[in-house]
Amino acid sequence: MLPHLDAAYTLARYLTRNDADAQDVVQDASLRALKYFAGFRGTTPADGRAWFLAIVRNTAHTWRERERGGAPVAEFDEEMHSDGVDHDPVATVDLQTALARLPLEFREVLVLREVQGLSYQEISDVTGVPVGTVMSRLSRARKRLQKALA
Amino acid sequence: MTHPSEARLDAWLDGELSPTEAREVETHVAACAECTRLRESRLALRAAIQSQLPGLQAPDVLRQRVRSQARSSVGGRSLAMLAWRVLAIAASVAVIAFGSWQLGVQRGRGESLADAVLTSHIRSLMPGHLTDVQSSDQHTVKPWFNGKLDYSPPVYDFAGKGYPLLGGRLDYVGGREVAALVYGRRQHIITVFLWPKERDVGAGPTVGTRQGYHLLRWTSAQYAYWAVSDLGLAELGDFQRLMQQADSATQ
Repeated sequence: MLPHLDAAYTLARYLTRNDADAQDVVQDASLRALKYFAGFRGTTPADGRAWFLAIVRNTAHTWRERERGGAPVAEFDEEMHSDGVDHDPVATVDLQTALARLPLEFREVLVLREVQGLSYQEISDVTGVPVGTVMSRLSRARKRLQKALA
Repeated sequence: MTHPSEARLDAWLDGELSPTEAREVETHVAACAECTRLRESRLALRAAIQSQLPGLQAPDVLRQRVRSQARSSVGGRSLAMLAWRVLAIAASVAVIAFGSWQLGVQRGRGESLADAVLTSHIRSLMPGHLTDVQSSDQHTVKPWFNGKLDYSPPVYDFAGKGYPLLGGRLDYVGGREVAALVYGRRQHIITVFLWPKERDVGAGPTVGTRQGYHLLRWTSAQYAYWAVSDLGLAELGDFQRLMQQADSATQ
């Protein structure tokens, strides 16, 4: 896990939006990784990274649910989120802020693609959503970022 | 003319379309002002993201916590040990640079040196021992040795050749403090030890096999090297040639 720790921390940090939670998520995820290693079927370093990032991602999602007091998280609705503009129409925000305001599902595909350079297939492996959904989600995420920055 | 969907245009810019599909989109965009604008705005966004949203480094305290967590959870369980090995090391080559190597070492030292090199290599596979400085950037790893050794070991990254630099560490070999550089090759590890040539023993065979590990020994104009790995001899030889080419290129 250590070679992938920076990537794991980067993902967790962008998903949780703060350092303390990100560290807790990564620590939690690395424990799970040790525990579930028997299920790991990869053969390359890239497989190992995607596998560990998937655990980090799932851990971050679990943390979010816990934060919401165990209330069930509604299924992410692509359409509902596709055109909403939830930024302050007066102030121009910077990229960090704009990204932080995106729904988690958009944020994770953007970070996996733009910051960590994963392919659509790898993003699909990490997030568990089909490649076609990765493609449309990524495109919508970019559109929303551009709107927020405009 | 039908515009490609935004998602399709994005996939094109991400290099995710098949060559045929990519040509279609490319041809369209070249002739379409609207799509060209969209393309340019996306490229600008990408540039902004890359400059303003950096990849982050895990804090040292987290690295230590994960490391000790792995150590304690490993206990004696071989599966967890294997997990740690494969994940922590995931295809690595370690290059160990010897520091303060004794001058005028006696003959026959070559054999015990091979043992020491091999022992250090195997020890590095234990949980948490692989690297002290973990980076794929040679410009991070090389300066890390400043003040830790009395020479500055050459550090190269062969990621483009399939042998990515993973990091470095200090180690003890033959009672001396030495430095290690860690490289990757699929699931394998190669450990290359190096120290200034004038301190070299120069004894023993240049190719050897011990306990299933391969050892190669060679010298450059400035340094003496040992490479150790469970990698096949052919690929270990390829790595050796990469090191030699990089050395002669920098002289």
